[in-house]
Amino acid sequence: MSKPVLIIGGGPAGLAAAHSLATVGKESVIVEKEDRLGGAPILSGYAKLVPTGEWAKDAIGGMVKRVEAESSVKVVTGTKVTDFDGSPGNFTAKLSNGDAVDAEAVIVCSGFTHFDSVNKPEWGFGTYEDVVTTTQVEQMISSGQGVRCPSDDRKPQRVAILLCVGSRDRQIGREWCSKICCTVSSNIAMEIREELPDCHVYIYYMDIRTFGLYETKYYWKSQEEFKVKYIKARIAEVTSDGEKLIVKGEDTLVKRPITIPFDMVVHAIGMDPNVDNPEISETLGIDLETHGFIDVANRYGAMGATSRPGVYVAGSATGPETIDDSIAQGHAAAMAVLSGARDLKTA
Amino acid sequence: MPIHEKSLIRPENLTTHEELTLDGVDVSGHWSTFIETRVVNDYNENLQEEIAALPGGEEIHRCWQCGSCTNACTVNAINEDFNPRYWIYLIRMGMESELLRDKDIIWQCVSCNKCTYACPRDVFPEGVMKATAHWLERKGHTEKSPSTHFDEVFTEQIVKTGKIEESRTMRRFFSRTGQALAQPWMIEMVKRMLRGLPIGLLTRMGLATLVAPKTNDWSKASAAIQEYIDEQHEKQAQALSLAELVETAKQDVAA
Repeated sequence: MSKPVLIIGGGPAGLAAAHSLATVGKESVIVEKEDRLGGAPILSGYAKLVPTGEWAKDAIGGMVKRVEAESSVKVVTGTKVTDFDGSPGNFTAKLSNGDAVDAEAVIVCSGFTHFDSVNKPEWGFGTYEDVVTTTQVEQMISSGQGVRCPSDDRKPQRVAILLCVGSRDRQIGREWCSKICCTVSSNIAMEIREELPDCHVYIYYMDIRTFGLYETKYYWKSQEEFKVKYIKARIAEVTSDGEKLIVKGEDTLVKRPITIPFDMVVHAIGMDPNVDNPEISETLGIDLETHGFIDVANRYGAMGATSRPGVYVAGSATGPETIDDSIAQGHAAAMAVLSGARDLKTA
Repeated sequence: MPIHEKSLIRPENLTTHEELTLDGVDVSGHWSTFIETRVVNDYNENLQEEIAALPGGEEIHRCWQCGSCTNACTVNAINEDFNPRYWIYLIRMGMESELLRDKDIIWQCVSCNKCTYACPRDVFPEGVMKATAHWLERKGHTEKSPSTHFDEVFTEQIVKTGKIEESRTMRRFFSRTGQALAQPWMIEMVKRMLRGLPIGLLTRMGLATLVAPKTNDWSKASAAIQEYIDEQHEKQAQALSLAELVETAKQDVAA
């Protein structure tokens, strides 16, 4: 029982796992490749979170503080695991800073990578300054600057949000639904309408997947209270007439072609497998599933078991995941580690 | 209003009455325009399967109506009525009569394949357009299109000789599509060829025109290809229930 648990990645899942382990007096080491804890919500500067509406820096920041205050959690930032060996109860991980960590078990909470919109050039990202991603809009809101067109800092009067950018698209090898973008987009749409009541916000969709309870709180609310306009159309291209962005498509429900000028176009970017996954898979000796996320080997026994005994996975490393579920999985993986340890002792 | 109800308000379904009183209410004149009810009872529930049985139509079931194909479409940019997404919808719903309204423009697909590269589900809309055009031909709704004539002339020649002799292809294509061979541009082209091409090449071309060169030992390959083509045609004819159609037509004539 003397060895700590190695947690790779200090985002919502990793923070939750560390907190759970600390609660029962189990030591852990968080190895985070970036220079601070918090994961995507902190590093990418998210604004208000779904579904609580709390600011990311308060909610996830609070989780970071809670973990940093625990004496049984050791945090190593700016570091990766470079080498890994051993068996359950007795692993050794070498770190990029030269140190080595002896660990009883590992929880991989390495998260995801935001889809890079440059890979859908027809939608203008990288060509026109005023084509931005949902992440950038989150940053505009969370920084307090407000939603402005990057080209000249003006308040947009017309904003188009394009859904499924980097999701559900065989053309670019991303067949999965990223799960959160519909909800995030309707949340952002409401934020924009609240800050800029004169701004018209359109959402272009293939299907709306504000799953579960998000239907009323985001999809319906954004339509009924915030007058966000939803149009069933996948946009063909985003161009510019020199002044405005021009969005072309077909409103499929009324069978009419549309060519509409916009001040700002927002890509609702999806969740890619972490770009480091091949390396993580190689180093830790764990399998990836067909899309490139980390494969979950056991769904009904040990929570978050990977293909290698003693190595667990939680959060969006396993596939597109909400923050809430990532946190829940982090806690559950910690529990799986504890029950794995009990099995080892009785064996 | 769902797409499939749009057909209800075509001009021919709109009526007004000079003098009409219903339950004591005067509904005369165009202020009281009526939309006549139209019961759709001609669904062809096999339509999607029929299109899928023809080359190119195999993946039509994947479509989720995002509209990328229509958005990307070269022809749609010129003619708004050319709408692949809508036709895929009609086919999947089995709305044959609605589809037939557009039978004279469906074949106009130029096979630029922009839709193919836009489609997030790999439905291969260009192939579906081709399959639909062939479906219209084989069901007897449209005449064979020029491109079908060309494909046939081309294929027949390959099957017969194993080679393509261009002048023969041209002559037959022109004759089957009812065009005069002696087009001004054609005469000009031949004139320039006679003037510009080396004598040896011209002689070989001339000879080929006369004797129709054949690949050596071609008969076995020819038979195999023909057998495969016949097999495919038979399969497609079955999928499209062509035999039944012919039977019904015969009975109609007899009656």
